[in-house]
Amino acid sequence: MVRMEWNHDGLQRQLQIMTKIVSLTLISLTATLACGLARAQSSSGVSTGIVAGANSFLTSLNDAQRSKVLFEFNDAAQRMKWSNLPTTMVPRAGLKMGDLTDAQRKAAMDLLALTLSKRGYEKVLAIVTGDEVLKSQSDGGGGGGGRGGRGGGGPMFGRDLFYISILGKPSVKDPWMLQFGGHHLALNITMVGREGILTPSLTAAQPAKYTVDGQTVRPLGAENDKAFALINALDEGQRKQAILNYKVADLVLGPGQDGKTIQPEGIKVPAMNASQQAMLLDLAGEWAGIINEQAAAARMADLKTNLPETWFAWSGPTTNGMPAYYRIQGPTVVIEYAPQPLGGDPTMHIHTIYRDPTNDYGKRSAAK
Amino acid sequence: MPLLAMSLAGNAAAHRLDEYLQATLIGIARGSVDLEMQLTPGVAVLPLVMSEIDRDRDGRISGEEARAYATRVMREVELRVDGKPASLSLVESTFPTLEEMRQGLGTIRLKLRAPRVEDDSAVRELRFINRHLPQVSVYLVNCLAGDGLRVGRQQRDEAQRSISFGYSFGKSADPAPAWFMRERFWLAVLGTVLLARLAMLTSLWRPRSLSR
Repeated sequence: MVRMEWNHDGLQRQLQIMTKIVSLTLISLTATLACGLARAQSSSGVSTGIVAGANSFLTSLNDAQRSKVLFEFNDAAQRMKWSNLPTTMVPRAGLKMGDLTDAQRKAAMDLLALTLSKRGYEKVLAIVTGDEVLKSQSDGGGGGGGRGGRGGGGPMFGRDLFYISILGKPSVKDPWMLQFGGHHLALNITMVGREGILTPSLTAAQPAKYTVDGQTVRPLGAENDKAFALINALDEGQRKQAILNYKVADLVLGPGQDGKTIQPEGIKVPAMNASQQAMLLDLAGEWAGIINEQAAAARMADLKTNLPETWFAWSGPTTNGMPAYYRIQGPTVVIEYAPQPLGGDPTMHIHTIYRDPTNDYGKRSAAK
Repeated sequence: MPLLAMSLAGNAAAHRLDEYLQATLIGIARGSVDLEMQLTPGVAVLPLVMSEIDRDRDGRISGEEARAYATRVMREVELRVDGKPASLSLVESTFPTLEEMRQGLGTIRLKLRAPRVEDDSAVRELRFINRHLPQVSVYLVNCLAGDGLRVGRQQRDEAQRSISFGYSFGKSADPAPAWFMRERFWLAVLGTVLLARLAMLTSLWRPRSLSR
């Protein structure tokens, strides 16, 4: 007969070990939950801040202005009402900056600053200021070489001619959209919960280099310099793959080309080494990083995941300072950079486009 | 007049002035090939382009003039599939107003379609050439991505007036090399030469004892 006896010491030790394990698990679980909650709170804090900024801007308006600035979220015509061209040529809807009071204008720019990253906001300001420079060159008839800044009696360029509009009701939960743009700028920002989608957006610059208070400003300087650094970091064999043997006179998927995807060309990223791949990602970050840091981080992660299916194509000389076109194209991104032979030196007039063929206007995110 | 000059000068800074931008997107679906053409004349070349469209010089584009111009463009582009010219038909066309074109904003949009291409499973070779108003034009030509479409290496001339590429649905789209370019062919040639040489050597060889 087997007699079972309790070994009290052993049992106590086992219980102590079990208690420690359970305690450690609970502590670890609590810490993980707390971190997750903190992250969620921090990320939802960004959305909450943007929504508060939007409401603050809307509150600053009178009823007539509010009715002009607000559109239905699914207003397809308003979504697509953007262009590289001056607003006197392609009219935009919404509120014109020049029609706002100082306080309203500040509220609008504060909203933009909340929505974008610091460098994104600075880029936008540099593009808008560039248009003001173009206006002064044109009005003076001096530096612009008689370009003229007036069409039909009114000014054609300048910071007063940028427009803002809101599609949908600003919300931390439901999708809504902020549009800001004018000549050489079109930001289409869709907010879906914590997500911020910047595609499609157009950034451009003319003049691409100007001086303000003794400081040289190049709104798209990094887009230019990083691309030339990348093409020159490729070896001869890689350049042979990347460089197209034909001229590209303009953006292929610019304004009015929503929903289209072309066959990719150039060098496929897996044919690049790790350093070159990092340079490409950094270059794409010049567009992906315009949106606020939280949304940009998610976008950069997406671009990195899709790197193996991403292509880089180049057309033109490889010496920095010369006009060259390039394109980055992957499953979720199309970026084009195209110097324009308009108004003289093509390096002084740049158009770029930034798209996500799977999520332009946040369609995929909003459908979730 | 000075106001008009200033207005045109302003347009000059804003967009294309002295070129006729002809952008073509080639859309390939199972059984059809579409050409979407967007033609945007710059302000300075508008008189030339308008002289081709507004034949009666009345300062407006009538339906008949629009159709005639679209037909002319259709005649001056060429689409070949497997080396054979595909006859194109006009699916739709939209013309801007003359005022829009005067501002350099007018884009003529044409959609052309090639008749049904038989046997979609084959690897086909497509070639497109645009010969419309080359003296004032700049060109863009691209192939659109499509469901299940595989496109091989695209080849263009420097000005993008022409493009050619192989395509298929579900197969490698690089066209199969000619028979004389295939590795197997040259291995067979090499094998035949070696066998012939061996046969010659065998027939020439006679044991010395027999020849004495």
